[in-house]
Amino acid sequence: MRNRARQRWLDTAALGLTAVWLAAAPDAQAQATAEACAGKVPEVRVIVQPMPATGHLDTIKGEFEAKWQTKVEIVQYGENDRRSRSRLDASSGAGAYQVYYIDEANVAEFAASKWVLPLLDYLPKDYDYEGFLDARKAVAQWNGTPYFAPITGGGDMMIYRKDVFAEKGIAPPKTLDELKQAIAALHSPPEMYGWTARARRGSGMNVWRWTPFFRAEGGQWFQDGEASFNSEAAVKATETYKDLFQFAPPGATTNTWSEVVESFRAGQVAVIVESDPLALWMEDPEKSRVVGKVGFAPPPEPLPSAGYAHGLALSASGNPDDCSKLVSADFIGWATSSEMEHRRFEAGLFADFARKSSLEDPIFKEKVPAEYIQALAGTSPRTSLLIYDGPEWPEIGDFLGLVLEEVLTGTRDDIQLSLDEAAEYANDIMRRSQRQ
Amino acid sequence: MNHSASPGTGQPRRLRPEHRRFALVTLLPGLSLLILLSLIASVGAINLAFQDRMLRFPDAAYVGLENFERLFRDRRFANALQVSAIWEVVTVVCTMLLAVLLAILLVEGVRSPRVRNAICILLIIPVLLPRVSAGLIWRFLYSPTMGAANYPLTMLGLPPIEFLSDPQIALYAVALVDIWQWGLFFGVVLAKLIETLPKEPQEAARLDHAGTLGVYWWVALPMLRGPIIMMTFVKAIESLRSFDLIYTMTAGGPGISTETLDLYAFQQGIGISGRISYASSLSVLLMVMTVIIFSILWKRAARWAA
Repeated sequence: MRNRARQRWLDTAALGLTAVWLAAAPDAQAQATAEACAGKVPEVRVIVQPMPATGHLDTIKGEFEAKWQTKVEIVQYGENDRRSRSRLDASSGAGAYQVYYIDEANVAEFAASKWVLPLLDYLPKDYDYEGFLDARKAVAQWNGTPYFAPITGGGDMMIYRKDVFAEKGIAPPKTLDELKQAIAALHSPPEMYGWTARARRGSGMNVWRWTPFFRAEGGQWFQDGEASFNSEAAVKATETYKDLFQFAPPGATTNTWSEVVESFRAGQVAVIVESDPLALWMEDPEKSRVVGKVGFAPPPEPLPSAGYAHGLALSASGNPDDCSKLVSADFIGWATSSEMEHRRFEAGLFADFARKSSLEDPIFKEKVPAEYIQALAGTSPRTSLLIYDGPEWPEIGDFLGLVLEEVLTGTRDDIQLSLDEAAEYANDIMRRSQRQ
Repeated sequence: MNHSASPGTGQPRRLRPEHRRFALVTLLPGLSLLILLSLIASVGAINLAFQDRMLRFPDAAYVGLENFERLFRDRRFANALQVSAIWEVVTVVCTMLLAVLLAILLVEGVRSPRVRNAICILLIIPVLLPRVSAGLIWRFLYSPTMGAANYPLTMLGLPPIEFLSDPQIALYAVALVDIWQWGLFFGVVLAKLIETLPKEPQEAARLDHAGTLGVYWWVALPMLRGPIIMMTFVKAIESLRSFDLIYTMTAGGPGISTETLDLYAFQQGIGISGRISYASSLSVLLMVMTVIIFSILWKRAARWAA
């Protein structure tokens, strides 16, 4: 009897000890892993595109290198090159990069192909993922799973020359019709051009800027399983988009977004609609001739605001072992933390932010024009992902971009036929995708 | 002079057996490596060309000639073929013309060897520039609003030329950069070759009242027929590798007006589309065409040079 009681006591004690060990184990293991991994990962290679935030990371990466005794190499490529190089690296399984810079246009492709890891499984435990703005989080996921930590993003904003509008006695336009009238009225080349926009081919170039016009006309990407961006809405949107280029500076029909920004910063253009982080580039005294003359407002109705986000994701092939995953995820956590956004503000970089805390940051509120913050508040409710969010998008978007560029440069003049070809191409891509 | 002929006989020189063995042994390692490396890539590309491999999917299946059939229905392929042909002809012909004219100008117009050497050094600089840098510099120069190329026009109140945005002229604007890089360099090479020619035949032609251009056309340049043909060949092969310059300056645009075959293959393969097999079929076709065309030209050139 005493033996049985002693046995029961021992069993209970053993169970209790096991429970205590199990409860404590993950932390202990994580701690052990973190200690064990310091100095074990020789290099973290990060592929990015040139942005103020990524440039800033490059200047302070030494702090992270000291923490993990690892070398961080930040490799910069232009947007299209960055996309194609990371795709090649991921699809070939080369694993040359541990951290990818991905965005709304390719997160579905990378996630569906399992080229990136579900981020929340690897981020540090105390990482505040919920602190990101809802619009950024909505773009950074695929099928409900977050795959990247946003580093920048936003929607659209109308950026205009307050002085030029005032000189002509024109109020900032609130509707698309008013915008068209203002552009025509302000157009007086070669001193001032009414408008410019992205025109170079690419899903993140002309297609990105054309899409709000398309959606404003009620356009849908697919209907009844077939591509429908050759609809009447798409044709009308393309006509409007093309017509506006008669008020653009010479050579604008092959503009990238950076050339749009440069035209405006050089004081050549009266009004543009661009992604809102770029709006703050106009106030850079070192690079802009229009500092203090720029007004900000939500895009004229009924143009919706094209929401986007760029951020850092964990490469599946680039992180084959636990230590590599741990260190790379910690890099992402460090690079996209609210502290990092605050440090960027301290460094005078305000264009790239993705966290709720940044909007309340005293430096941000003090340094950023109040009109910009007000325009941001007006744009946010109208911001959503306007592109098709499937893994086939990069290919579909790129071909559509090519067709649009042909229309804008006058290589083709039949808009309906051109869009029919793009839609047919998209249907072919969708059929091929069924094989998975 | 035919270097493979026995002096005075005109017959091909025959190596002694031990020399032949030595030549074979020394050539074999390098040749084997070359064949192996080109075979791996070529066989890999041919294999891929018959599949439906896409970067997005880990699997692939053999689809026979489907990719090639698609190619012949693809308007971008037809366009790329045409653009590549125009690019090849324009860059090769204009480079060689510029080189010849520049070489004559250097030899005839600059009498001081020291000054001529200094000019030659300056003329070599463009070809030393990486193609990407050259492309970016010229892209800026061509800018209709800020570039120096349009400055004279705008000064005269004329509208600027949209060099890289006008589909009619974009290809020629990019070709000009290629000609600028290689034409100047080849001009220097030719000038140096002209300097090495014996003077007597040219002096004899002058005594016969031949003008400067006549001396070069009938005497000097025919003496350099071999090197000129070789340089044309080198330029023709170099022009096939135009990807970096065109990509930097126009990325194939406006529309597809500067999209060459190699650029199109890149965009289909590792660019945005990720259609590796389709891009491979394009590359295989390009390889076959290049081998056939260059083999024919090589045979003819050997006859012209003889």
